[in-house]
Amino acid sequence: MEFWEDSLSKKPTVMIQRTLRSGQNFHYDGNVVIMGDVNPGAEIVASGHVLVMGSLRGMVHAGATGEEKATVTALSLAPTQLRIAAHITRPPDGNGTSLVKQPEVARIKNDVVIIEEYQPLR
Amino acid sequence: MGTVLVITSGKGGVGKTTITANIGTGLAMLGKKVVMVDTDIGLRNLDVVLGLENRIVYDLVDAVRGNCRLKQSLIKDKRYENMFLLPAAQTKDKTAVSEEQMKELCARLKEEFDYVLIDCPAGIEHGFKNAIAGADEAIVVTTPEVSAVRDADRIVGLLEAAGLRQPKLIVNRIRSAMIKTGDMMSVDDILEILAIELLGIVPEDDIIIISTNRGEPTVMDNDSRPGQAFRNISLRITGEEVPLMPMEHKYGFIGRIRSLFSGE
Repeated sequence: MEFWEDSLSKKPTVMIQRTLRSGQNFHYDGNVVIMGDVNPGAEIVASGHVLVMGSLRGMVHAGATGEEKATVTALSLAPTQLRIAAHITRPPDGNGTSLVKQPEVARIKNDVVIIEEYQPLR
Repeated sequence: MGTVLVITSGKGGVGKTTITANIGTGLAMLGKKVVMVDTDIGLRNLDVVLGLENRIVYDLVDAVRGNCRLKQSLIKDKRYENMFLLPAAQTKDKTAVSEEQMKELCARLKEEFDYVLIDCPAGIEHGFKNAIAGADEAIVVTTPEVSAVRDADRIVGLLEAAGLRQPKLIVNRIRSAMIKTGDMMSVDDILEILAIELLGIVPEDDIIIISTNRGEPTVMDNDSRPGQAFRNISLRITGEEVPLMPMEHKYGFIGRIRSLFSGE
């Protein structure tokens, strides 16, 4: 039985049990799990997936070494900017503070970053 | 043994000095022995807000360098004899004092006083590091503005990194009418981002400008709403539980008429 969907899942994973505040950053060669919020002005750069068990309002770069399969998941996904591999996206201009209070995933599909409701993988 | 409280914010102009002056006076009104230390060397203000500017002989830099005895540098307030000010030097800069010197100063002051309030300069550089060096607890001040909250968040991170865990929050300059129309962040919005304990909320009021210019902290004015807010905060610092004051509009119809005749 093969548990690994992709090469990223086999990478080392760290768990951060706190909130990242403005000015704090975390760089890691692997996957990152945050048991807290990522506030505006905070920065996470990971070569693998990023999972935020809280509100993501800061900047996250997943798959920073070019992995297009990397995803960003958060209980509330409202980043100032979101990067996956070489793709850089930001929320649409205007009053974009409509916080979605449901878990969402960002991933690359057909060469664009899309955000969809988080569905447990079967 | 007293407590050293640093009042800080990151961003300038959110009300650190005003809040220091009012909480300090509020604690003195409760009978506590209080000293306020202005660490904004080169840009001193706390003496002006307290109306003690013309009594300064020695300052913080003189005290830590041993140019005078510590007692000589403490200015006794003209209203409360259990309240003192250690003013900042105006002709020097932040590097005139080191973190070690601040730690030693705070340790000496808290032997003598119930509360040592440190008024922190804006920014996160040398002056900030000096201000928090000897602190036991921290109070973070913000206003309901995105930029001020962002800076407060940064400051909370830096305080935690420096070992000042669980800082408390004061939200200053609240305008309930604007919050109602959705044009201003609410206290809940701010708490959702900062996720720290709320120590108090202070409404925006013209009386603050008047009292600041007069050098008379508004906490002494029984009729002012910010004064009530500051008295509540002072009580909470001493460990009493006081409910948050309602942020509803300042005047009802009667109040508006009264304010017409009060001559202000």
